Amino acid sequence: MIRRLLAVLLPLLLGVAARAQDQPLVAALSRTDIEVTTGFTGASLVVFGSTEQPIGPGGDEVIIVARGPTRPVVVRRKVAVAGLVWVNGPSARFAGVPGYYVLAGTRPAWQILPEEQRQRHALGLDALPLASTGARSPAFRRALLELERDSGLWIEDSAPIEIAGSRLFFVRLPLPAEVPTGDYRVEVLLVRSRQIIAREDLLFRVDRVGTADRIATVAQVQPLLYGLACIAVAALAGWLGSVLFRRG
Amino acid sequence: MQVYLPIAEMSVDAFLLMAIGFGVGWLSGLFGVGGGFLLTPLLLLIGVPSPVAVASGANQTIGASVSGLIAQWRRGNVDAKMGGVLLAGGFTGSVLGVQLFALLRRIGQVDLAVSVFYVVVLGTVGGLMVMESVRAIRRRRSATRRKLHAHTWMHGLPLKTRFRKSRLYISVIPPFLIGAGIGLLSAVMGVGGGFMLVPAMIYLLGMPTSVVIGTSLFQVVFVAANVTLLAAVQLGTVDVLLTLLLLVGGVAGAQFGASMGTRLRGEETRALLGLLVLGVAMSLLWGLLRPPQNLFSAGPAL
Repeated sequence: MIRRLLAVLLPLLLGVAARAQDQPLVAALSRTDIEVTTGFTGASLVVFGSTEQPIGPGGDEVIIVARGPTRPVVVRRKVAVAGLVWVNGPSARFAGVPGYYVLAGTRPAWQILPEEQRQRHALGLDALPLASTGARSPAFRRALLELERDSGLWIEDSAPIEIAGSRLFFVRLPLPAEVPTGDYRVEVLLVRSRQIIAREDLLFRVDRVGTADRIATVAQVQPLLYGLACIAVAALAGWLGSVLFRRG
Repeated sequence: MQVYLPIAEMSVDAFLLMAIGFGVGWLSGLFGVGGGFLLTPLLLLIGVPSPVAVASGANQTIGASVSGLIAQWRRGNVDAKMGGVLLAGGFTGSVLGVQLFALLRRIGQVDLAVSVFYVVVLGTVGGLMVMESVRAIRRRRSATRRKLHAHTWMHGLPLKTRFRKSRLYISVIPPFLIGAGIGLLSAVMGVGGGFMLVPAMIYLLGMPTSVVIGTSLFQVVFVAANVTLLAAVQLGTVDVLLTLLLLVGGVAGAQFGASMGTRLRGEETRALLGLLVLGVAMSLLWGLLRPPQNLFSAGPAL
């Protein structure tokens, strides 16, 4: 039985191994679905893979960049009206801001890639193409980077990619509880002598599931029904409470 | 125990929410008000976005007030006709209030508006309550009586109607306007408005105290329901899970508060409530005047 199973599986396994040997870079994700339930407090996933040539100084380098779904963001600056009350004043609107951005490398990207390449592939928070309308001051862009970094959703070179046995690499991507739902793209880039020579695109999704998903979906798709349900639920809870406590 | 709130899109401690609900419910049972004016600022404090805090606060108010309304209705302490006029005003006001809120959200001034509304309204109401109750406590000693019924300009308005339960023959315009004003405030502040409506009915309309609480609960339940519905449809910011967790604590707290409230004297209770309201107003005022730690804030573009 086991022998027959092996006979079936072996060619497949060998095939994958052979493919890995032909290619300079193979990468995968530990999971491709992150489920946000009502008990969700954050998660993490591992990007791992192997290279054909040894990784390290003078050899191959790996850069991993993960991007979440984009959305427009408004950054506002507070000003003191009459030197007294702090009020939201000028604002800048940024279109297409990634809700999640993590960059990790065997070494920081600016050390292993020419500046022009790094800018082109938006590797690094300073290289993110963030077009804005409204207030022009570069302080708004700086503030956006700072706010997103503080929220833990934008991370740049917080921990280097770990290397095992000189050809295997892996890095853990933290996904905090505030992580936006949607499609995520992970790019794994292989750099050799300051050139990107291979890349692999991996995808994963963050989805609300169970009760959290049903509530959010109903609220979005049938807001009238949802509103009526909210009213009924609250009224019922109030009534139930008064009945329970009168008896007790 | 961490719980993920699907509409607020954040993870909070469920026991913290229940404790907040319990504390607010306890105070509201003690003082006979909905407690929304305490709830929304507390939710903002733990980091709930203000649109969600306001809408879910209004939703919670329904639950907190409905049991009181049932009890008062049974005792016949609800002037349904007066309640209906107040309600007509309340619906008009809350529709306008939700539009105002949507506009404020677009131009990014929600936090400011909510804070300013709280400071002005709570400061005024709290101040008046403290002054009135101090005067009442003094009067108890000197024993001079207030005039029972005074004729003012209000009695010259058209559309006069007889409100049998309230023993009033007045124009429908003042109660309609009061209802509208409170509906507007409840949409912007996420409160039921009981703490404003009760004094308004006693001092502005001259209603007898026996029907005031029941009639105000009548108005509060329906206006809060209207705000909830409008917020759910137009803003999509009602978090039913947040509401439920608050209610679990709130319903229990209200019972304890109510049984304790019967042992306190009226004037002292009003003075304490006034001080509490003033305290909330002061802390929010401080939030407006204090130089912010970070001048910049980011939010979703609408």
